[in-house]
Amino acid sequence: MSKLVGEPVKVHQNKESMITAFIWRKRLYRVLEVIGWWREPSDWWNTKAMRLFIRVNAKNSSTGTYELYRLGEQWFLSRVLD
Amino acid sequence: MSFIHLHVHSQYSFLDGASSLDKLLDRAVTLKMPALALTDHNRLTGAIRFYDKAKALGIKPIIGVETDLEGRYHLTLLCKNHEGYSNLCRLLTQAHLSNRDRKPKVTREMLRDNSSGLIALSGCSKGEIPALLSKGKCNKAKEAACFYREIFGEDFFIELTRYPSREGFSDSYQLVSFAKEESLLVVATNNVHYVELRRYRVKELLNAIDQNIPVTQLNGYRTVEQYLKSHKEMMKLFRDLPEAIKNTEEIASRCNLELELGKPRFPRFDIPEGESDYGYLRKIAFAGAEIKYGLLSTSIKNRLEYELDTIKKLGYCSYFLVVWDIVRWAKSRDIRCQARGSAVDSLVVYALDISNIDPLEYNLLFERFMHPLRYEPPDIDLDVDRKRRDEVKDYIYQKYGIENVACVGTINTYMARGAIRDIGKALKIPKTIIEEACNGIHWLSASKLMEYADTLPELKHSTIYKREDLADFFKLCTAIDGFPKHLSVHLGGLLIGDGKLSELVPLEWSSGGDIISQYDKDDVERLGIVKLDLLSLPTLTVIEDTLSNIKRSHGIDIDIEKVPRDDPETFAMLRGSKTIGTFQLESPAQREMAGRLLPNRFEDIIVSISLVRPGPLKSNMDKDYLPRRHGKELVKYLHPKLKNALSETLGVILYQEQVLRVAHDLAGMSYAEADGFRRAMTHDRTEEEMEKMRGSFISRAIKNGVIKGIAEKVFRQLAAFAAYGFCKGHACAYAITAYQTLWLKRHYPAEFLAAALSNQPMGYYPPRVLVAEAKRFGVEVLPPDINNSSDNYTVDNGAIRVSLKQLKGMSTKTMEFILSERARHRFTSLRDFALRTNVSRLILENLVKVGAFDSLGNRSNLLHQVPELVNLKGKTDRRARPLFEEPRAESDVQEDTPGGDIKVKMLVERELLSLDLTAHPLDFCALDDGITKMGDLPSITTGETVRIAGSVIRYQTPPTRNGNRVVYIIMEDGTGIADVTVFSDVQEKCGEVLFREGWLEVKGKVQRRGQKAASIIAENLSPLDTRFMCKD
Repeated sequence: MSKLVGEPVKVHQNKESMITAFIWRKRLYRVLEVIGWWREPSDWWNTKAMRLFIRVNAKNSSTGTYELYRLGEQWFLSRVLD
Repeated sequence: MSFIHLHVHSQYSFLDGASSLDKLLDRAVTLKMPALALTDHNRLTGAIRFYDKAKALGIKPIIGVETDLEGRYHLTLLCKNHEGYSNLCRLLTQAHLSNRDRKPKVTREMLRDNSSGLIALSGCSKGEIPALLSKGKCNKAKEAACFYREIFGEDFFIELTRYPSREGFSDSYQLVSFAKEESLLVVATNNVHYVELRRYRVKELLNAIDQNIPVTQLNGYRTVEQYLKSHKEMMKLFRDLPEAIKNTEEIASRCNLELELGKPRFPRFDIPEGESDYGYLRKIAFAGAEIKYGLLSTSIKNRLEYELDTIKKLGYCSYFLVVWDIVRWAKSRDIRCQARGSAVDSLVVYALDISNIDPLEYNLLFERFMHPLRYEPPDIDLDVDRKRRDEVKDYIYQKYGIENVACVGTINTYMARGAIRDIGKALKIPKTIIEEACNGIHWLSASKLMEYADTLPELKHSTIYKREDLADFFKLCTAIDGFPKHLSVHLGGLLIGDGKLSELVPLEWSSGGDIISQYDKDDVERLGIVKLDLLSLPTLTVIEDTLSNIKRSHGIDIDIEKVPRDDPETFAMLRGSKTIGTFQLESPAQREMAGRLLPNRFEDIIVSISLVRPGPLKSNMDKDYLPRRHGKELVKYLHPKLKNALSETLGVILYQEQVLRVAHDLAGMSYAEADGFRRAMTHDRTEEEMEKMRGSFISRAIKNGVIKGIAEKVFRQLAAFAAYGFCKGHACAYAITAYQTLWLKRHYPAEFLAAALSNQPMGYYPPRVLVAEAKRFGVEVLPPDINNSSDNYTVDNGAIRVSLKQLKGMSTKTMEFILSERARHRFTSLRDFALRTNVSRLILENLVKVGAFDSLGNRSNLLHQVPELVNLKGKTDRRARPLFEEPRAESDVQEDTPGGDIKVKMLVERELLSLDLTAHPLDFCALDDGITKMGDLPSITTGETVRIAGSVIRYQTPPTRNGNRVVYIIMEDGTGIADVTVFSDVQEKCGEVLFREGWLEVKGKVQRRGQKAASIIAENLSPLDTRFMCKD
C-alpha cells in the first residue's frame, strides 16, 4: 500500500549530491538508505521535464519508505509506502 | 572485463533509431568500447558503412539485426562469420519477399534453414520467451527455448535488459530464473535506440511519424533508458549478474566477420559450348566491327585487340557479354537502347552495338573508360526507352533468375521541408504554421534550417522561425536531418549477382513492386557487385513516338540514325535558341549558350553540352573557348606537342580525354597512367599530393624535351581543368540524341511536340509551355475531343489534339474503357456516351467543361444535361432495361454567349487540363502599357530597362564561380519565355517574394551575352495581383 502525496520538500545533499535528509511538513526525515532510483519520461511536448525518482528508507519518529522526485530544481515527495 | 553493446539501433532502423552511425561510433570511441554491434530492425541497410567506419575507428564491428518473427515476436541475430552473414542476408530476403505489402516475418522454418554462423539473443521484451513469460505462459516459453537451443545450440542466449523503474527489474529477474532452470546462458544488452538520454524525445517523435499518429497518442511502454550506456553504468545495473556482462565479451569474441569488400563480382554469362568468355567476346566484337566498318584496317584491328586484351586481363569479359546480350535482345524487339557515359569511348562497346558512337570518328580514348591501373569495375550505363524499360528488366530477371537480380535501393532522407511537415504533424502543430514554415524553403538540409532562417533573404523576413513558442519544434526538426524515411528504387541501377545475389545483399519489395537491395548504390559498390545502370530515358520514347506520328501523318518511315548531321535548318533553329522540348539543349543556360556559340556543326553540340556544366562555367572555359570559336582570338598552343590533343577545341582543354592526351604527349605518360593522374587531380587532394603530382609531371615533361616553364604552365592548366572537364564520349552520346530531337522538332514540329506532350513529365518545362511553343511554331493545339482524342497527344490534320489523359482525375482505367467503347462505335451524343460508359459524374462534367463534346452540342447546354443523364444511367443500370426517357433536345438549349465565356474557358482549361488553349490568363490581367511581352524581348536593346509579368515556371540556384548564390527564374507569359537572373542584392531586397510567388512582375535590365540570347537582370520583383485568375 502507498499514499500519494505530491508535495514539495526541501532536501539536504552531501558533497557527492547524495540525499541525506529531507524536510516535509516542517519535519526532518533522515535518509538511512537509498533503495533505488529511476527516470520517467515526461509529456515533453507540453514542456514538462523528465522526472528523476528516488526511493529511500528514512527516519523521523519511525522508519518508513518514501518516494521523492525532482522536477527541475525542485524536489517533491511523491508517495509514502507502507 | 568489458561490456559490449550487442543490441543497438541506428537511424537505419527507419523511424525507430534516433542516432546516426557516426554519433554512435563516436560515443563508443569516447567510452573506449572495443566492439559494437549494429542490430537495426529487419534490415542491414547501415551495415556496410557501419563496418567501414567502425574499422576505421579501431572498433570491432558486429553485424546483426533485430528481426520480426511469426507472432510479432522479436529476435536479435548476430553474424559470427561469413556463413552467418550469407544466412542472415538470405533469411532477411525470405522474410521480406514472402510478405509483400506486409511487415517482414521470419518463420521457424526459415530460421532452421539459415541459422548456421549466427548467434541468437532472445530479444527485447517483445522477444518470444520474455513475452510468453510475462503472460505467464511458462510451458510455451520452455518450448520456445527448446526450439532456439536446438537450432542455435551454444549460440543462443537469454537477453537481459534492465531499465530502472518503480517496479524494479522484475522482468529481468523472471528471465534470469528461467534461464537458470533451462540451463541457458544470459547476456546483458541495453536495446540502444539513441546515443544520449535526451534523444528519447526524437525516438518518440520518429515512432509517432512511423505510426502516423500524434506523439501524444503513442501507447505502450515508454522509457528514457535506451541510450548508449557506459561500461560502468551497465556494470552497476548487472552487479548481481557479472556473467551477463562477461558473456557480451564472449559473444563479441565469437563474432569475427570479415567482409570481402571492393573485389568485383561479375555476373556469369552462358557461352556456347567449347568457347571461352574471351574467345566468344573477341569473335562477336570482330564480327560487329566488320558490320560497322566493312574491311577492318590495321589500326582498327590493333585497337580492338588492345581493348579486348585489357578487358581479358581485368576479367571483365563476362560483364561485356551480359551487357551485349541485353542490348541485343532489346534491339531485336525494336526497343531503343544505347550506352552513355565513358563506355562510349570504347571501340568494343561500339562493335558490340551497345553504343552508336564511333570512337574513332570522334577521337575517343579507351583509357578514359578502362585500363589496367584502374581498380574500379567498369560501368556501362544504358539509356532505354522509358515506355519499354520494364520489358528489358523482365528479360534480365528471366535470364539471370529472380534471386539473382534486383534493383538498387536508395535511401530517402529527411530535409527541411519533410522534417517540418512530419514533425509538425506528430506534434499537432497547426497546418497554417507548417505551411508558413515550409513556404519559401527551396532545397535545404534540416540541420541548417535555423542558420539559413537568419541569412537567406527569402526566410529571414519570416517571423515564424523566430517565435519562441516554436523554438523547440524547429530544434527537433534539425535533429532528424538526413535520417532515412524509407527505402525506394534507385532510378536505373540493376544488380546481377554472380550466383545468388540474396546471399550477399538482403532484398525486399519496394512500394512499387520492384525487388530492391537493402543497400544503396555506394554500399553495393563496396561489396563489389557490378551495377548495371538501365536508365529510362523519356527522350528515346519521344523519338520513337515522333517517328510513329510521322508515319501516321505523312506515311514516311524515317531512320533517325541516318538523318544528316549537318542540316542547316536544324542548326538555324538551334542558333535561334528555339530548343524548348529538345534533349539537353532546352535549359536557359543552353539556350543562352546557343546564342553565344552560334553552332553550325555537330561538334558544336558536343562542345555546348560539355560547356554548360557548373564546373566548366565556374572555371571560365566558355570565355576561353568562344572568342577562338568565332575567330576573335588566335588559337595558340603553349607547346607544339599540345596541338594533337587540343586542336579539336582550339587549344582549350574541354574534355577529360584531352587531359589524358596532354599528359601522354607532353609528359610521356602511358594513357593508363595519364588517367590515374587525371583521376588523382579530380578528387580532393592535399597540397602535398598535388606537389608530388606536379613534380612528377614536370620532371617527365622535361625528360620529354619540354622546358620547365612550359611544363609548369601546362600543369597549372591541367590542375585547374581536370576536375571540371567533361567526358567527351558521354557528351557525344548525348549530342546525337540532342541532335535527333532538334532535327525532328525542326522538320516535324507537330509530331515532335505531340510526342513530347504525351511523355510528360520530362524535361524542363510543363505541358502548357510546350503548348505555347507549338503555337509559336505555327501548330494549332486542339482541345480534347471525345471522338478524336486518344490516350496520347495526336496529330490531327497538322494540329495537335490534346489527349484524354490530360484531364484532371482521368484514370487509365476509365480512359481505356472510353477508348475501347469508342472503338466499337463512335459516340453520337452526350447521352450515348453517358449510357455506354461508366465514367463518374465528375469526369463527365469535366469532359464537357473542357470542350470534349463541343462537336456534339453546345457546351453549356450539355452541362445542364449531366445530372439528368447521371440519374438516368443510374436507373438504367439498376433496372437493366432500355431507356425511354429522352433528355431535352440539344437544339432547344441556349447558345453560348460568344466571347463572354472565354475567361471561363481559360480558367477551366487551367484547372482541368493545366493548359492554356483558348487564352492565356494574362489576357485578362489589366497590365499597364509599360509591361513588355516576353515574345518581344529579342528585339529589345541590350541594357534597356524593362518590366515583364508572367507565371513562374521554375526557380534554380546552380553553383556559381564565387560561391555567391544566384537565383534564376524561368517565366512565361503566353508570348514567350523569359530567363531572369536575381543577384544577391535583389534577393535581399525581394526576399519575401522569392520562391513563394507563382506570378511575378519583374523589373530589370536586358542582358545579352551572345548575338541572340537575351535574359533579364532583375532589379525588382513584386508579386502580381492574381485577381485575374478568379471568375468575374
